Amino acid sequence: MNPDLLNQWDSLGVNGLPYEIPIHPNLVHLTLGLFIVAIAFDIVGALFPVEKAIFKFLAIPATRSALFDVGWYNLLASAIITFFTVMAGFFEAALAVPVTDATSAWGLHALETIILHGVAGVLILGLIVGMTVWRGFQRFHWRKDMARQVQWSYLAAGLLVFALMFVQGTLGAHLGAEFGVHVTADQMLQLGESPNQL
Amino acid sequence: MVLFAAFCDLLGYFTKNPRLYEVGWWNLTFATVSIFIAIIFGQVEAGLAEPYAASVSTLNIHTVLGWSLSGILAIVTAWRYVIRLQEKPELPIPYLAVSVLLVGLVLVQSYLGSMLVWVYGLHTVPVVDAIKGGLS
Repeated sequence: MNPDLLNQWDSLGVNGLPYEIPIHPNLVHLTLGLFIVAIAFDIVGALFPVEKAIFKFLAIPATRSALFDVGWYNLLASAIITFFTVMAGFFEAALAVPVTDATSAWGLHALETIILHGVAGVLILGLIVGMTVWRGFQRFHWRKDMARQVQWSYLAAGLLVFALMFVQGTLGAHLGAEFGVHVTADQMLQLGESPNQL
Repeated sequence: MVLFAAFCDLLGYFTKNPRLYEVGWWNLTFATVSIFIAIIFGQVEAGLAEPYAASVSTLNIHTVLGWSLSGILAIVTAWRYVIRLQEKPELPIPYLAVSVLLVGLVLVQSYLGSMLVWVYGLHTVPVVDAIKGGLS
């Protein structure tokens, strides 16, 4: 955002936000953690016949349906929380004042990185919601009475989303760690101040 | 994962849905395994960080709390394992109270970690350059 325009908001901190720590990078951990656990437990559930002996050896009682419950509830929670992740992301992107003369490890400039990260964010939100609907149909209709609650294609799609999330996460990390977006110390250095004044 | 585990346990308690207890248990178990991976990366990156004066105390507290959480989490998960074996119809109140306390510690730890990145900018390029340039 144009720094002159940001002057219209007179209570922004050095980090460019009306609060100390950006919200989006924290919510992202919930999105990722919930989604990864969801797919991981569906994979464990799908391969249950192979693992029975391992659970027995570890003396951990496990039922297949409970593993699929984790797959479902974690995914549902991920879908809900990700709306807030994306919302916080766009809010904080609108207030971003990146370091302009830098190029990221992927050879991108700040603006390209912000735009790609924003577009991919909406795409991934759509994919998570789509996967949740797909998962819901498998759980409550198509595979309601089957021992294996998820299709192999669903698990493959989940792993594909992992890959997208990895790319998206790296772009987001570039925004913070290379372009200094909303990093207090980086913004102070830009202003010629020492972060030891913090 | 700890946050979602506690959320499911509390929701399970108030809606009397034992299925959610299972979701809570598995999330907690996953968290207990994951925290050690988090600590390994944390130690490597903290070791490489060369923190400047203002950030040192936050990094120290984050380190101590991180290791403490691994112990606390392991104990809580062990407790949960025993409760689960007993197949009680609902979770005991002291366990739920400890979960809430654990959530508090996790939030504090996340806050400290966020401070290290987003306030002190450890491992961000401008700060690393400044440290190379003599910031200490």
